[in-house]
Amino acid sequence: MIEVKNITKKFGNKKILKGLSFTAKKGEITCLIGINGAGKTTALNAIMNLTPLTSGEILIDGKKLTKESYQTIAFIPDTIAMLSQMTIRQAMHFMKDFYTTWNQERANELLNFFQLTETQKIATLSKGNTAKINLMLGLALDVDYLLMDEPFSGIDIFSREQITSVFTSHLIEDRGVLITTHEISDIEHLIDKVILIDDGIVVKDFNAEDMREQEEKSILDVMREVYVK
Amino acid sequence: MKNYLKLVSFELSRFIKIYIALIVVTTVSQFAGVFSQSRNYAATVNQTLQQESFSLNDYFVSYPPLTFINVTVSGWFIIPIIFSAAALVFYSFFIWYRDWFGKNAFIYRLLMLPTNRINLFFSKLTAILLMVLGLVATQLILIPLESALFNQLLPDYLRYNLSTQTIISSSEYLSVLFPDSFIQFLIYYGLGSLVLIVLFTIILFERSFHLKGIVFGGLFGAGTFILMLSPFIIQTKLSPYYLYPIENFAIELFLGIVISIFSIWVSHYLLNKKITV
Amino acid sequence: MNIQFNKRDPIYLQVVQYFKQEMAIAHLKPGQEIPSRRDLANQLKINPNTAQKAYKEMENSGLIYTEGNLPSRITEDNHVLKNIRKELIDEATDHFIAAIKPIHVPLDELVDLVTEKYTQASKDKEDLHD
Repeated sequence: MIEVKNITKKFGNKKILKGLSFTAKKGEITCLIGINGAGKTTALNAIMNLTPLTSGEILIDGKKLTKESYQTIAFIPDTIAMLSQMTIRQAMHFMKDFYTTWNQERANELLNFFQLTETQKIATLSKGNTAKINLMLGLALDVDYLLMDEPFSGIDIFSREQITSVFTSHLIEDRGVLITTHEISDIEHLIDKVILIDDGIVVKDFNAEDMREQEEKSILDVMREVYVK
Repeated sequence: MKNYLKLVSFELSRFIKIYIALIVVTTVSQFAGVFSQSRNYAATVNQTLQQESFSLNDYFVSYPPLTFINVTVSGWFIIPIIFSAAALVFYSFFIWYRDWFGKNAFIYRLLMLPTNRINLFFSKLTAILLMVLGLVATQLILIPLESALFNQLLPDYLRYNLSTQTIISSSEYLSVLFPDSFIQFLIYYGLGSLVLIVLFTIILFERSFHLKGIVFGGLFGAGTFILMLSPFIIQTKLSPYYLYPIENFAIELFLGIVISIFSIWVSHYLLNKKITV
Repeated sequence: MNIQFNKRDPIYLQVVQYFKQEMAIAHLKPGQEIPSRRDLANQLKINPNTAQKAYKEMENSGLIYTEGNLPSRITEDNHVLKNIRKELIDEATDHFIAAIKPIHVPLDELVDLVTEKYTQASKDKEDLHD
């Protein structure tokens, strides 16, 4: 389980996170929802120790993040975390070189599924295909947790469909997925848990199916109640 | 250790094209210099002999013969060296900033590698130092080759043969690039490494705290500079030659090592606790 | 397999409902093997946990059964199957009545209208199949 405990973060005098707390469990898809600037990306960066916190604590399976944790928790940022002059093959080589949890078989499977060839240069890929390679570089690691920052933003509908179908496959199964988005409709059916963030704090935290069952509300209904006042 | 070596080779490969271009430009320019200098000289001598109706012996009474040292002070020779040096100085900054400001945020990947982050620091440092040494070594190979060409192009009576060693020791800047004693080498290249380590720490201050970081980094740089100069400042107060040169060297060596270790420790702290993507 | 999910009802219940319909019209036959939870999730583009929950619900209400490690199958219990059919018809009729009641249509007129429209709809469907 990823536990984010009361984290705060200041950029200069501006508070980005104001005591954010939530958890994301293994085997579940947890979605952080909030408008741009609500602090979603900062929260993911903080989990990966890519930005310092002003206060608070983050635990992964009860322990603080160490360099070894990067073998078991992967982050897929909203731009591809690889050099654009590399070919897909070189990018995979780079990953294989550094990560013992790199799973080449799964990488090939994903390339096949996305219909991409390894000789292609990252710089020449379309936005949708770049997003797929970015996803592949994270998914081909045998990790317990996968963090994704806005995996659907700015890409075409067919790429979005392909990426969502990865979410319902064995490639995601049994892992803990933490995903941020400001646009829910693509993945409404996929999410286990929803965390609504506004202005650096969690305003609501619920299980999507329970919400539908007990209050007959869609995720969007809840968002409307929370964000439109 | 393995990851460090992989990172070094990775960092080298990222600059290799420009690096090879630098070597090619230097080689071509310096050989072109040898060519044009010797041709011009031969032409000038011929012209003078005809116009003034000197004999060759008379000529060398009034004018010196051409040596390879004349070649080394020409623009053909020096400008590519300055250019390469400037490129490496520029790349010392760029080697960090390219990871943040490239088309893709590669810094995410580097910081998320399952290895100690100080390896990023060491790999970039090693890459720059290796590239400096590589260029210097290339120059060392080029000098005898250029000198041989020079000897081929001019007849015996128009030139004065010099050994590579003489060429280097007669040139102010070449004798810095190729010091003639090991201690000199330690001083020049040690100082160079120290400056690079401190510069990297300053860059990491900036990357961690942005505008405030420039101030912190500036103070850190100034602090190390004053600390390195402190033995000499104190001695001017006492008496100018209070310590023997070897004693000064020992003190500077000690200070240099202490500052390097401290600077690396600060960088380690910044990379692990303060850096932001 | 294709379901248009609505966003306000629990997805697992929508899956159960879909299975009931398919069983009522014998698209899913008694004893037929059903997809694994992973395959179902992938086919319907839903979360594997939701597929799991739908199967659990169906297992509990006897719609499907699992023997040991074998894939789950549609029930062969005629009683259950009959009940499903009845339940679906009841549900749809209740919906219809609830919708038509506020308009105060006499029952005779309503029955005539239903007969006419239902025959037409069935005919259209046959035509479509030809």
